[in-house]
Parts: sequence; C-alpha cells; structure tokens
Amino acid sequence: MKTFEEKWTAWLDGQLSDRELAQFEASLPDKAAAEAEKTEAKKLGAFLKRELGARALTNEEFFSHQLRERIARERAGESRKSGGRRIEVSTWWTIRRLLWTGTASLVVFLVLAIFVMRDKNPAEQSQYLTQILNARVDPVVSPNATISMFETKEDRVTVLWTEGLQSLPADYAAK
Amino acid sequence: MARSLLLSAAFALVLGTATELRGAEMVWSGLVIAENVAQPHPIPPELTGIERPLKRLFGYNQFQVIGQSRKALQTGQEDWLATSKFFGLHVDARGESQAGYVLNLKLYKEKELLLETDAKLSKRSPLLIKGPQVGGGQLLLVLVVQ
Repeated sequence: MKTFEEKWTAWLDGQLSDRELAQFEASLPDKAAAEAEKTEAKKLGAFLKRELGARALTNEEFFSHQLRERIARERAGESRKSGGRRIEVSTWWTIRRLLWTGTASLVVFLVLAIFVMRDKNPAEQSQYLTQILNARVDPVVSPNATISMFETKEDRVTVLWTEGLQSLPADYAAK
Repeated sequence: MARSLLLSAAFALVLGTATELRGAEMVWSGLVIAENVAQPHPIPPELTGIERPLKRLFGYNQFQVIGQSRKALQTGQEDWLATSKFFGLHVDARGESQAGYVLNLKLYKEKELLLETDAKLSKRSPLLIKGPQVGGGQLLLVLVVQ
C-alpha cells in the first residue's frame, strides 16, 4: 500500500498506472493547484539537471585532470611514506627499544645491587666482629715481640696474638 | 597543631629513651690467667660465654680472673681500670659508633707499659688479647660487651 507521499512523487514523475492515476487525481482536493505544483517541480528538475549535470571534459582537460590526480596521489604516497618514517623515528617505545631499555635497566640494577651489597657486607661484618685498629709493644721492654691479629667467625671473637713478650714469674699471677 | 606537637614530643621521648637504653651497655674487662692443671677449677661465670674459643684458641684448661672491671657506658667517652696485684689494664673509650665502641687499651706491668692497642669493640664480639707468659700459664685480657 503506497503512502500519499509515494503516490505524489510517482505522480510528479509520471510513473502512475492509468488506474492509479485516476484514483490519485480523484483524491486530490485541488487538482489545479496540484498541476501547478507539478509544473513547477518539472521546471526545477530541468533547471537542476541543466546546471548541476556533469560537464563533458575535452580530451585535453581529461588528460590534464588525470595527470593532476596522479601527481596528487604520488605526493600523498610520498608524504605518507615520509610521515611513516618520521613516526618510526620519533616513536620511542617500539618492541626493540622496549627490549633494549628493559635489558639496560636490568644491567644498571644488577651493577647497583652489586655495589650496594659490596659496600654493605664489610659494614655488616665490622658490626658483627670486633676490629683491632692497631697494636704496639714497647720495643725496649720486649724487643723480640711480634703481634698478629685474627678473627674467628664461628666463635665471633677477635684475637690479638702476641709472641715474645717478656716472660714473668708465677708470682705475677696473684690477684 | 597541638596534636602534632604532642606527637613530636612523644616521638622524641621514645627516641630518647631508646638511645638511653642503647647507651647504657656494660663492658666487662678482665685480666685472666690461663693454665693447664690436673684438676681445673670451673670457668668463672664472666667467661662462660667464651669458654669454647678460650680453650680452643689458647689450649689451656683452667681460666682464673685475677682482676676485672665492669663499666656501664653512657656516653662512650668513659675510661676505667681493671687491676690485679701486678697488672693494670687501662681502658679509654673514645666514642661510640654503629659498629661498637672505639677503645684504647693499655696493659701495664706495675708502671711499665707492655702493650697498647686501639680497637672497635663490637657489641656481639668479644676481644681476646694474649699477654705475657706468667709462670707456666698465660696472661689473657678479655673484653666483652654484656
């Protein structure tokens, strides 16, 4: 079932069958006004077709047009390529760079960790064990004395070991 | 404002108390005669913690304390003397570091200086010094943070 607008358009275009035409024209309230409108629509259609229709190109214009289009396409392609290169150059986080950055970060981390651990261990050890900074004996009293120092980590003691100190009689063990 | 002041004061108090507790550590210094005898006396209580290294390192079976001093270190700048009849061990604390106490030790036989050393005495590691031979035994100097 066609709507009134569809029938109106078909009537303007002259595409209604005889029966449909008779029915449609009978349904029009003012047939004279409708005819005038139809005439105006036809005039407008003819005008638009004349003014907006594609103008046939001459051979010279056609080739010139094709050349211009081709140059434009080539330029667009070049600019896309160079644009792409620019993007590749300016993009920082490519997969390869991510990998390199990750590896470099790991290396830096390991180097720092080794330095920190190396710096930390002696401090921990020095906190753990007593350290003898220096030692001396009177060379006049004990001319043959020697001094050595060592730490025993399992017993957590530090020892200053002297040899050749002047020997004393047992009386010196008195309290 | 008042709350933050109160918190700061409480924090300072806790910190101060902690520092004070940490500073009040006891250093035991002793003059010890080590000997090998048939019937050794039990090891003195001050040396029980280091009995094993004493026996293992010096090879004696008896250890007797002939002079000792126990000093509570408050500032790490104190000095003290552990004496026996003939020996004197002068300890001069020259400051406290994270590693322990910096000490200057001087062993005297009467008024004669036999040995001098500087050491950083760790709070968890005793210092043992082998002194002169005395009769059939050995004089040892022992310093322990208790």
